[in-house]
Amino acid sequence: MFNSLINVAARRLAGAVPTVLLLSMVVFFVLRALPADPLALLLPPNATQADAEVVRKALGLDRSIIVQYLIWLRDALSGNLGNSIAFREPVMRLLANSLPATLELSFVGLAFALIISIPGGLLLYGTRGTFIESVLDVIVVCMLSIPSFLWAIFLLLGFGVMLGWLPFSGRVDPGIVIPDGTGFLLIDYIVAVQWGYWQNAFSHLILPAMALALGFSPLVIRVLRSSLLEASEDHYVTVARQRGLNERQIILKHMLRNSALPTITLIGAQFGFLFGGTLLVETIFSYPGIGNLMVQAVRNHDLPLIQGIALVFCITTLAINTVVDILYVVLNPKLRRA
Amino acid sequence: MRSPRVVIGGAIVVAMVICAVFAPQIAPNDPANQDLLNMLLPPMWEEGGSADYPFGTDSLGRCILSQMIYGARVALFVGFVAAIGATLLGTTLALLAGYFGGWIDRAISHLVDLWMSLPPVVLSVTLMVGFGTGVGNVILSIVLVDWTRFCRVVRSEVMVVARKDFVAAAKLLGFGNIRIILREILPSVTPLIITLFTLQVGIGIIVEAILSFVGLSVPADVPAWGQMIAQARNYMYQAPWGIILPIIAMFVTVLGFNLLGEGLRVALDPRLRKRNI
Repeated sequence: MFNSLINVAARRLAGAVPTVLLLSMVVFFVLRALPADPLALLLPPNATQADAEVVRKALGLDRSIIVQYLIWLRDALSGNLGNSIAFREPVMRLLANSLPATLELSFVGLAFALIISIPGGLLLYGTRGTFIESVLDVIVVCMLSIPSFLWAIFLLLGFGVMLGWLPFSGRVDPGIVIPDGTGFLLIDYIVAVQWGYWQNAFSHLILPAMALALGFSPLVIRVLRSSLLEASEDHYVTVARQRGLNERQIILKHMLRNSALPTITLIGAQFGFLFGGTLLVETIFSYPGIGNLMVQAVRNHDLPLIQGIALVFCITTLAINTVVDILYVVLNPKLRRA
Repeated sequence: MRSPRVVIGGAIVVAMVICAVFAPQIAPNDPANQDLLNMLLPPMWEEGGSADYPFGTDSLGRCILSQMIYGARVALFVGFVAAIGATLLGTTLALLAGYFGGWIDRAISHLVDLWMSLPPVVLSVTLMVGFGTGVGNVILSIVLVDWTRFCRVVRSEVMVVARKDFVAAAKLLGFGNIRIILREILPSVTPLIITLFTLQVGIGIIVEAILSFVGLSVPADVPAWGQMIAQARNYMYQAPWGIILPIIAMFVTVLGFNLLGEGLRVALDPRLRKRNI
């Protein structure tokens, strides 16, 4: 089993390298089509033509676009993604500071989505053919029509502003020290044994993570329901029924396990959807992650930063897909020897 | 075809199309007109509201109801045109990949995988930065992002159809490849394409709103739902209606397309009709 896991991981990684290269090329060339001149943002208003030329040369913007890409690639491979034009800081440092926040938010969002959709899928399956199912079905179609950024606005207005139950800005209350560590506050505060701060960080995560989860869970609920429906016609279920197991045992012990596979595949394939949702959700909750950073970079026409963030989104999505593939092999005994 | 989903979804879609087409006749006010004496008015059913502005006014004193009605124009135009583009591009590539197989299939499938390794929102935002703002570019970026959805789903259906006996018969009769694709295969996958198209209109409307929200879509003076949401966000503590109403407009429209698409999926696919999913 261990061998096949390494096989899957190696095959995935070998495929990922050309993907990242090609996408970085697409992003690079698309951004060079930009009608606005990025130099205009870099220079003070009283700069002369000669000043502009100096900066243009220093940034390599006078060379051909292919040479520019190769220079960018060489630097990127040595861990240098250039400097952000608006923040005047290395892109790498900005990314290192904000990526953990986004990953933490996405994982908590995914956990919430599972907490909503596993019981949801079971409930839809359990009520199949009844009136309750059609009501639940309408609710799921309604949920499908609300993207996560609209959930974010609703949750912020309802639970943040009107009811005042939960905080809705940033990662922790102002004044709380963010520790040096992994950047994942839920881990760092446990390591530092600061339970109060941990609660504070978690309460800041609830609303934005819930917005991501509510946008994502209708997809999961539907796949889970249809795979449960398919499983219910399988041989092993009939056999289990004939053995006299009760329906609850059959669902929880046998069918749920088998339905996990298509559900995990969907989560892997659609993780980008949840991950991309962080762009607006983080902006709405002033949450300092790479989604928020991307929106700011776009508003500032900050090309090096946009390029760097797009690259990070691409690599992270591929990494998640690899993990999902490995998980798939772990959970599916049929694939282990292949 | 008479399922409640098709009827309700279809009714919502028709109502929205009427709003968009007859916006100048339906809207009570000019959506661009700024009544600076009546800024951030609440809707007429709240205290302080006025019957002149049934849904109240925004921070510049513009009529919210009129902006919502005119906003349907941008939403539906972008949604429909982008869906047509994504359908044409995605279906063409899917037909080629699914019918010919071999290296054509591998090349197209690799392209789809490559495209899907960036979150769709990130890809469309990046494309918009490169292209610049404007309705035409919004449509272009939605087409360039969402064709993969069609390509993936339609391709696997084409592969199934291409193995059927009637396709083999057509080949034996000496029909050309193009004729087989257009006359034999395309009609068999058309129900699927209609369903995907309907759902895509809703997705396009959401993407347009997201791009408006980031400030990458239409110019600020064109009424659009995403723009209204983004502007009203700054005042949502004093005037929550300004943000809730355009959200409802968007939700109802997208729901209409989703209901219609889901209803059509069941109505056009006899296998699903029996199972009643």
